Amino acid sequence: MVYFINDVITGALIGLLYALVAMGFVVIYRASKVFNFAQGELVIIGGFIVWFTTLELGLNLWLSIPLSLVLAGVVGYLIERIFLTRLIGESVFSMVMVTIGLLILLRGVVLLLFGPAVRPFPIIFPLKPLFLGDMLIPMNLLIGGILTIVAAVGLSWFFNRTRSGLRMTAVAEDHVVASSMGISVKGSIAFAWILGAVLSTIGAMIFLSGKSLTFLASEIGFAALPVALLAGLESIGGLILAGIIIGVIQSLTTNYLDPYVGGSLGSVVPYVIMLAILLIRPTGLFGWRTIERV
Amino acid sequence: MLELNNVEVTYSDVILALKGVSMRVQKGQCVALLGGNGAGKSTTLKAISGTLRSEDGTVSAGSILLEGKPIQNVEASEVVRAGLVHVMEGRRVLRHLTSEQNLIVGGHMAPDAAELRRRLDHVYTLIPRLADLRHRTSGFMSGGEQQLLLIGRAVMAAPGIIAIDEPSLGLAPMMIRDVYEVLRQLKAEGTTFFLVEQNSAAALSIADHAYVMENGRIVLDGPADKLAQNEDVKEFYLGVSASGERKSYRDIKHYRRRKRWLG
Repeated sequence: MVYFINDVITGALIGLLYALVAMGFVVIYRASKVFNFAQGELVIIGGFIVWFTTLELGLNLWLSIPLSLVLAGVVGYLIERIFLTRLIGESVFSMVMVTIGLLILLRGVVLLLFGPAVRPFPIIFPLKPLFLGDMLIPMNLLIGGILTIVAAVGLSWFFNRTRSGLRMTAVAEDHVVASSMGISVKGSIAFAWILGAVLSTIGAMIFLSGKSLTFLASEIGFAALPVALLAGLESIGGLILAGIIIGVIQSLTTNYLDPYVGGSLGSVVPYVIMLAILLIRPTGLFGWRTIERV
Repeated sequence: MLELNNVEVTYSDVILALKGVSMRVQKGQCVALLGGNGAGKSTTLKAISGTLRSEDGTVSAGSILLEGKPIQNVEASEVVRAGLVHVMEGRRVLRHLTSEQNLIVGGHMAPDAAELRRRLDHVYTLIPRLADLRHRTSGFMSGGEQQLLLIGRAVMAAPGIIAIDEPSLGLAPMMIRDVYEVLRQLKAEGTTFFLVEQNSAAALSIADHAYVMENGRIVLDGPADKLAQNEDVKEFYLGVSASGERKSYRDIKHYRRRKRWLG
């Protein structure tokens, strides 16, 4: 029973990490209606920035982390300015193609700048796990889970209660209406990309702390996809529940079903849930449903 | 306050939708723009408010001046900052936000929270129904309530001029009366209006001056009370013939012949 509870807790914490990366998806999608397939690459870019400032420049963590977040924000801003700002109002297909192109480009840039070598990632969170009786909880995931919940609550408050956040929510609903009210659509989208890149970098720090850094870690972007779709692409708060659902189901499948089927079912099950939710409820659990007056 | 001089609008570099439109709105006035479907009324409004771009339209000739400053082809957000708010047709509320969140978005440029609160109170005094509906998701409000919300949202921006497109479109007569009552109160407070309407009777009842538009051109203009007495306006836009009787649909060809301003 203790092992079962331990698996549930660990799964929930991994799910919250997915939710943090998915938060980047959602923030960008809300503002620009762009489904950013290169979100995992933003995680890797963030990871390399942290590695560069901490291990290459040798800066203290208290200095390198804020600096890395600022640099990640600059990268997000530049990506939006260079590749996406001209696409405002264009078809969804164009946007999707650009983000897929961006995914390939960013992978190429990472390989070109840093090569395929596996590098050590700085230890940002304590390596020593937390022991709760017989249960063992990884410290990086625990701190990451708390950070995810704080970020989700903070961003939900920002988007629903503050004037700046409501401006961005108005952009999420309707670009033309938002601009007819004096809201700078381009400014809101640029801010969303900055926020998306910063969230991805925080995700990289939690995911990679004390591990190895290669461009293969960008797969976490795809792991976060089912969480974003289950929550609904406009819902920040819903990511918490969706992340926990996906994480727990994945953990239990890996630990209790994989031994019977020879493995890999755990890595497939989130995508099965994603396909099911797309068929049953395409707007996700908490996404904006179409309101039509008849 | 607002001046259009020989404005031409082209869509996709091909379709000429406005052909030399000139008009003027003075401070404190309510000016109505009347015309049938496809006359170019909404295009005129979009040209003024900078929302043409989203439809691949552009002001290809002429000038639009707001308080003496040219605003043709500038970003819609710049036009709002210059003091003109466009209430778009089709009741485009922010459907997933509550009524009050819509209003706060409307007043997002208020200098501080106290001013935002003051504007909210003003809107709730002007349109008490919105106070009752403040927590209602706006997508689930009735058509009339949504129209009132849009007017309230425009008032929240404390603009110099409100340009409003078809406020009575698709509303029940009782609701049209309520909407126009709010517009009358705003006018009494000194708000300047540019009103685009197909419901000519309602528009002429509140307007000081009116323009009539056909096929992208202004074909007639004058004080609203005089236009309301004009035989052609009565016949074509108020649905009343020279003898005071409503025309039969059978006589539609006769209508066409009498549209002499097109000749």
